[in-house]
Amino acid sequence: MGSNKGDSKNNNKEQPELKEKLLDKIKKQPEFGVVIVFILITTFFTILNPAFIRLNNIAGFLTRGAELGIMAVGIAFLMIAGEFDLSVSSVYAFSGFLFIVIAEQIHSIPAFFLALVVAAFIGFINGNIVIRTKIPSFIATLGSMWAVRGLLLGITGGTSVAYTGDEFMPNILVRYFYRNFRPSHIWFIIIVIFMSVLLKQTRYGNWVFATGGKIEVARSLGVSVNKVKVINFILCAVLAGIAGIIAITRFRVASAAFGRMMELEAIASAVIGGTLMTGGYGTIIGAALGAVIMSMLRSGLVMVGAPSYWYNAFVGVILIVAAIVNLKLMKDIA
Amino acid sequence: MAQNQDFLVKMKNISKSFGAVKALKNVDFHVKRNEIVGLLGDNGAGKSTLIKILCGVLQPDEGEIFFDGERLDIKSPREARNKGIETVHQDLSLVDTMQIDRNMFLGKEPTKKIGPFRFLDKKRMRQESSRVVGDVGIKVRDPDEFVAILSGGERQAISIGRSVYFDAKLLILDEPLRALSVKEQKNVLQHVKDVRDGGTSVIFISHNVYHAHEVTDRYVILNNGFKQGEILKGDCPPETVSEYVATGEEVDEVLDCSIEL
Ligand SMILES: Nc1ncnc2c1ncn2[C@@H]1O[C@H](COP(=O)(O)OP(=O)(O)O)[C@@H](O)[C@H]1O
Ligand SMILES: [Mg+2]
Repeated sequence: MGSNKGDSKNNNKEQPELKEKLLDKIKKQPEFGVVIVFILITTFFTILNPAFIRLNNIAGFLTRGAELGIMAVGIAFLMIAGEFDLSVSSVYAFSGFLFIVIAEQIHSIPAFFLALVVAAFIGFINGNIVIRTKIPSFIATLGSMWAVRGLLLGITGGTSVAYTGDEFMPNILVRYFYRNFRPSHIWFIIIVIFMSVLLKQTRYGNWVFATGGKIEVARSLGVSVNKVKVINFILCAVLAGIAGIIAITRFRVASAAFGRMMELEAIASAVIGGTLMTGGYGTIIGAALGAVIMSMLRSGLVMVGAPSYWYNAFVGVILIVAAIVNLKLMKDIA
Repeated sequence: MAQNQDFLVKMKNISKSFGAVKALKNVDFHVKRNEIVGLLGDNGAGKSTLIKILCGVLQPDEGEIFFDGERLDIKSPREARNKGIETVHQDLSLVDTMQIDRNMFLGKEPTKKIGPFRFLDKKRMRQESSRVVGDVGIKVRDPDEFVAILSGGERQAISIGRSVYFDAKLLILDEPLRALSVKEQKNVLQHVKDVRDGGTSVIFISHNVYHAHEVTDRYVILNNGFKQGEILKGDCPPETVSEYVATGEEVDEVLDCSIEL
């Protein structure tokens, strides 16, 4: 390809406004809104109680933030492709339960992978229901959320199951390695980097954006949109499964109510992080920060002495404010 | 086969139904090399259906397609694009929520290898997009801008630029002038001529003869799923062509005004 520079003529005029351009660029980053919210909340709690940013407290809210965040990242990835998954909370619980049962029978390593295979299978089913029947994924996965939760209730009879397996996977996933920091925090960061690179730096990521942005255009340009959707449903379910197993190795007990309503928290995290409900736009890092914010709220409210009941009210307000800020920031696009 | 080399596209006896609706009934259609074919007909005549078959979005119930000398079953848009058929669909050429450079290469993204992995070649995407956008005369500061900020004419121009960039042998434009200002229409028509002069054949769909008349070499008129006839433009005034579309009167043989006069 020839490389005659066609844009050199436009460049010179706008040099003096370099600073403005840079500011404009920063504002256009899809993570801009959530970073602002993140800073505000951190400042707020730190002023009220300086212990909020002590290492041990940071590690504390990262623990819950990592579990919710791994789920939220999967949700965001799927939402960008234009679909929803409400069944993640049930997959989370079911994978955790399977992990406990299989680890007890065999070993925690095959338990980890087998539980994730089952999660992937549930994602595969979700995806196929959506692309074949064309019912909205909101409805399809509302159904599978109840179905999988029901299955878990049916199998356990509603009783809790304690972990009696070996320590291999628990050590790898959650055993403290420095103060209150756990490997799950690092796994969380690795997953965020992996998913973010997949979304932004690969062909597949470009297809994900296009599938959620305008599906007919994607299809007519040769993107296998159905394949993209099914793969994203699978990824979303597997990430929910990983989150569930991490949480189970921390709590060491699986109850049938485990993870209930977490699907809504994960969707809220993605939205706070700047992902559009209508698809085609969003960010992995934003969703991860969104989840950490949710977790910070929980911990922060406790630390400033507010009764934990206030958590829901706070989340509600933050969600609405973040959604408004994000929408304002991308008035060009949406 | 040798005489087929004049033809880039030959569609024979194409039929397509949607349930009870027969959108196309035994339609023959061809495009020569370096030719701009105006595909005319009222709303619902079957124009979009015909080109969707050609670009792999739909499969015909019946009929054969020859492209560039070989018989093809075009099973998907990707196959069509790989053969050199680029399409700009009605109102559907770009994704608003994506940046220009991401749109430009959608489905054909360039990659570079790092270790065992393939990553988007973003630098190349930006550079080439800048060039294509500049070539079609659009002033955007940055290929990183979202498509949502572009006007209808700019979108058409970029879509056409994209087809040229990917060395299309055939460019299909479905109602490319709809909802464009007069000035934008002029620009798009100029791009279409440039594309043809670069050696690409064009199918130009319109339900308005006056829109396409300037650039068209030959008209094919569809009416209710049938091929009503063909008109070589020659000296045919647009009024005559328009008359045929409006009345639905059958055109025997191939009407050629330049011979008649
Ligand atoms: N996907 C579809 N399902 C059902 N009917 C369709 C579909 N696409 C087109 N049709 C019908 O086929 C006929 C031809 O449509 P179309 O090819 O879009 O016409 P045109 O592009 O000439 O306006 C119309 O009657 C239209 O309603
Ligand atoms: Mg049409």
